[in-house]
Amino acid sequence: MASLELSHVFRVIGGGQTVLHDIDFSAHHGELISVVGPSGCGKSTLLRSIAGLEEVTSGDIFIGGNRVNDLQPQQRRIAMVFQNHALYPHMTVYQNLAFGLRARRVARSVVEARVRRTAVRLGLEALLGRYPRELSGGQKQRTALGRAMLRDPEVFLLDEPLSSLDVPLRSEMRRELMALHKSLGMTMVYVTHDQSEALSLGERVVVLSAGKIQQIDTPQEIYGNPQNRFVAAFVGWPPMNFLNGEILGAHANDTQNVEYGIRPERLMLQQHAADDLSVSGRIECIESLGGVWQIEIIHNGGRLIARVPPDAALRQDAELRLWFNQTDLYAFNRTTGTRVKVNR
Amino acid sequence: MRIKVLTVRASLYASLTTLAILTLFPLLWVTSIAFMRSPEQSAGTPPLWPRHPTLNNIVNIVQREMLGHYFLNSLIVAIATTVLSTFVAGLAGYALAQVQFRGRRVISWVVLFAVLIPSQALVLPLFEMFREVHLINHYAALILPAAANPVSIVLIQAYMRGIPAEILDAARMDGAGEWRTFFSVVVPMMAPMLAALAVLTFVVSWNDFMWPMIAMQKASMQTLPVALASIDREHYQEIGLMAAGATVTILPMMAIFVASQRYYLRSVVAGSLTD
Repeated sequence: MASLELSHVFRVIGGGQTVLHDIDFSAHHGELISVVGPSGCGKSTLLRSIAGLEEVTSGDIFIGGNRVNDLQPQQRRIAMVFQNHALYPHMTVYQNLAFGLRARRVARSVVEARVRRTAVRLGLEALLGRYPRELSGGQKQRTALGRAMLRDPEVFLLDEPLSSLDVPLRSEMRRELMALHKSLGMTMVYVTHDQSEALSLGERVVVLSAGKIQQIDTPQEIYGNPQNRFVAAFVGWPPMNFLNGEILGAHANDTQNVEYGIRPERLMLQQHAADDLSVSGRIECIESLGGVWQIEIIHNGGRLIARVPPDAALRQDAELRLWFNQTDLYAFNRTTGTRVKVNR
Repeated sequence: MRIKVLTVRASLYASLTTLAILTLFPLLWVTSIAFMRSPEQSAGTPPLWPRHPTLNNIVNIVQREMLGHYFLNSLIVAIATTVLSTFVAGLAGYALAQVQFRGRRVISWVVLFAVLIPSQALVLPLFEMFREVHLINHYAALILPAAANPVSIVLIQAYMRGIPAEILDAARMDGAGEWRTFFSVVVPMMAPMLAALAVLTFVVSWNDFMWPMIAMQKASMQTLPVALASIDREHYQEIGLMAAGATVTILPMMAIFVASQRYYLRSVVAGSLTD
């Protein structure tokens, strides 16, 4: 097991487009880092660059302290799980698992023992004779994981490994992955476009947009203390509400250049403190999600979403005033998007 | 509704049967003539069926005209061409579809344009070329020009594009080198396509006439179709002998098609069946 370090990594492709822009972060030994961003933000390229499947234009990649830029993928002691599993369709589960060991000319008896051990660990022992087309999504996923584990990697790379599974299976596999990470204790980089998956899995989260790192932090900090408007808008569901400065009325002193943000779950139906602020608007839509209601109001022509406890008194098209604590307010520079202190 | 379906199906089978009869009739007649005795076969229009079947024609043509020898020539050329051409097309098609290298696009276009060149236009330059290197009257003169078939390369390339690149990435990560990736991962995945191409290549090579006639000027090096044509010139009245030659020529084709039919059909419809 080893640490992973990326130092000022750039990748520029044919047309002069910068796909990765000054990527600089490190994962310490045994850490699980999730990388999240919208599609096309460069997260898969980042992962493929670490794996050695794509070359970086400049910058260095270190695994366990060794610079690996010039090493072939198979020399980097890295394993990768692909989005669509990428199992060899003409091989059985056993042959899929054994392929890497065979390619490295490991003795047949050793291959047999290791494949069986991994299969037992992942609950695949009854499926060793089956072909990928005869497996369910979860079984394919486990096979792909097993194949990666048998590479004996120092760093484990996962490229949206759960995106092809249905929702209940996804959360089950997520738990399995976390347990696996804990028991194997290896450095993992987990790429996803799903921010909730990134927050729930990662010990630290890298938020990527347009090839640039927007923020690297613990899930709590990413959610509670976003450094710019992109992170604030991308992380959290439903997404953060953005408001013009005038909602603060006399309190605001820089309404021209600042945009304010408030998370839907921080909006309240009642006033709690004397200095709480409020917005009001017409209720456009009430969505019952069981224990919580999601309410959309139209305020100043814009939409606001609030998550509140169920309240039978709420009616569509009625006027509603929503309260919030000033400390829950985020402020961002309107042009640069960077976070600024709330001015009152 | 049910009646309509039945009507459609009935007319479909009827037209297919007609087509099959039209295609097979001449073939069967020729085969039938091959087993007729002289008076029958040379009587203006030969009958459809031999009254007294005989193997004389077959025996004659094999013994008198050394048909076995030409058969062997054809077999050597066709097998070598098939093996070499399928191997080259497999490698080239895979590389052009999935391997990143400089000039890939240009080469793809060149190969595509090569498809448009009629083989007759190549006869003269090919002849000059092979005379220069003293390979006229060698098997190589028939095998080498067919080794890189642009049509096969384009077909394999199109097929390979449908295979997810991630599988090849996975093989690389698994530590498989280029050759291992090719033989253990790529070849099995394109096996149906390769098999179909192999059958087609074999048939084309077996039936090829113009270039073998020009490149093989020594009689002992001739292939079956060329030899058959010269028999025609010598014995233009012995229809039975000709029919026997044609039957012997067609036989291996029949065998191959029957044996590979299932594979062959599978790859023809492969595009619509991949999951």
